[in-house]
Amino acid sequence: MSDTPQSETKLALEGVTSGYGPVAIIKALSLSVRKGEIFALMGKNGMGKTTLLKTILGLVPARSGDIRLDGRSIVGAAPKVLIQSGVGYAPQEQPLFTDLSIRDNLRLAVRSDRELEAALEHVFVHFPFLRDRLTQKAGTLSGGEQKMLILSRALMLKPDLLLIDEISEGLQPTVIARIATALRAERNDRGTTILLVEQNLNFALDVADRWAVLKLGEIDDSGTAELGSRDRILDHLKI
Amino acid sequence: MTLLLDIVTTAAILFIVSAGLLAIFGVLEIVNFAHGAWLTVGAYCAVVTGGLGLNPWLALPLAFVAGAVLGGVTERLIVRPLYARPLDAILATWGLGIVIGQLITLWFGRDVQFTENLLSGTIHVLGISYSLYRIFALAAALVIGLGFAFLLEGTRLGLSARAIIMNEPLARALGLDTTRIRLFTFMIGTGLTALAGVLLTPLTSVDPTMGVSWLIGSFMLVMVAGSSFGALAIACLVFGGAQVLVSTFISPILGGITVAVLSALVLRISSKGFARA
Repeated sequence: MSDTPQSETKLALEGVTSGYGPVAIIKALSLSVRKGEIFALMGKNGMGKTTLLKTILGLVPARSGDIRLDGRSIVGAAPKVLIQSGVGYAPQEQPLFTDLSIRDNLRLAVRSDRELEAALEHVFVHFPFLRDRLTQKAGTLSGGEQKMLILSRALMLKPDLLLIDEISEGLQPTVIARIATALRAERNDRGTTILLVEQNLNFALDVADRWAVLKLGEIDDSGTAELGSRDRILDHLKI
Repeated sequence: MTLLLDIVTTAAILFIVSAGLLAIFGVLEIVNFAHGAWLTVGAYCAVVTGGLGLNPWLALPLAFVAGAVLGGVTERLIVRPLYARPLDAILATWGLGIVIGQLITLWFGRDVQFTENLLSGTIHVLGISYSLYRIFALAAALVIGLGFAFLLEGTRLGLSARAIIMNEPLARALGLDTTRIRLFTFMIGTGLTALAGVLLTPLTSVDPTMGVSWLIGSFMLVMVAGSSFGALAIACLVFGGAQVLVSTFISPILGGITVAVLSALVLRISSKGFARA
């Protein structure tokens, strides 16, 4: 997976191993994502997809190997530093402050309140329903609305690299389509690089340029999103 | 009417004394058992201010700054490594409280110290003559309560603190500097506690162990209140009221243990105490 020229690479992982306690979840994994690319990382439950995103963001320490963002090693960098460097993160696990308002959830994504209004306008372009519901508690939104809020929060700082963890899980096709439209727009308008962890094959292949399948912490297969990819990936995802 | 004012002002004093402990417990989930020592540090700031012949009101900002700075050092050197070990943090802060008490004894001796009253005399309230200072304490409690409400609801620091209380892993993932927010919170808590120590000086004797007598009551009130300042206010009003009633109609000695006994009873019935209020 490290066949991309360095100059075009946004994110590169080289022999990265990480995990929890004595258990290695990610095992000597190498992967590169090009600038402006949407890359879908797929795999069954428990294969290490979320751990990989957390390792990139510094939430789970890399035990060995190197992670490079725009050619600079980011191993050991605090999440705060990476977020300020232009990395956006849409987590899957406990992703919202449900007792806070929509506005406060979004406000937490910006570094100061002076940036807030401009950042809000940016996400309202994608999800205008948020504009009239800023005072509503995040926990009272529907499942689909919550996912759109999670993505909006990740987009607040106009990130150069967006890490998204299973955003389509449990969503109606209409909501998934809105999210896909927003992701394409971010990539096409701003050149945002997106690493998308997904189990929804249709959504992933719809938006992604390239894909890889993760199996027990290692890349099991990879390719470009094209006709024929679907059956190949399905073979890996069979239980 | 006097009884009513006694109840309200006693609740106010309990709130002032406990607010710093709650600020630290609510965000950091650490019980700062050096709380009593910080009250004492604040009271001795009043002693120092008086000794230097300065305006006694200057003791309030001096105590806040001294408490916050010492709190910052304590958080960095003692508490920060123990966030994942809250029981060890209790022991460490308890030990720190003893050390601070001994240092104060070394510098000032064991004797009771006297401070200049911030306010003296009485005021006519609701048709009776009542202690001006206790009415001031009520106003101070309201200011502190409203100040905390503004800090939590109206500032980014408060929003970040609430986010950490609700979901610290997510707060970190969003790039919040949880280390710095914990430090600021600890400093605000200890600064406020030292300020409370100054406010106590007209009501209690100042000596190196003065904080200990307030520690257990504060601790029990905070356990009952959880991380909610609203719940703390209610707990102070209910238990402070009970303390006044027991002291007035039964025995002042039993009144002294009323807060601790009632808090224990409430926690026995509901482990969340008044936090749902």
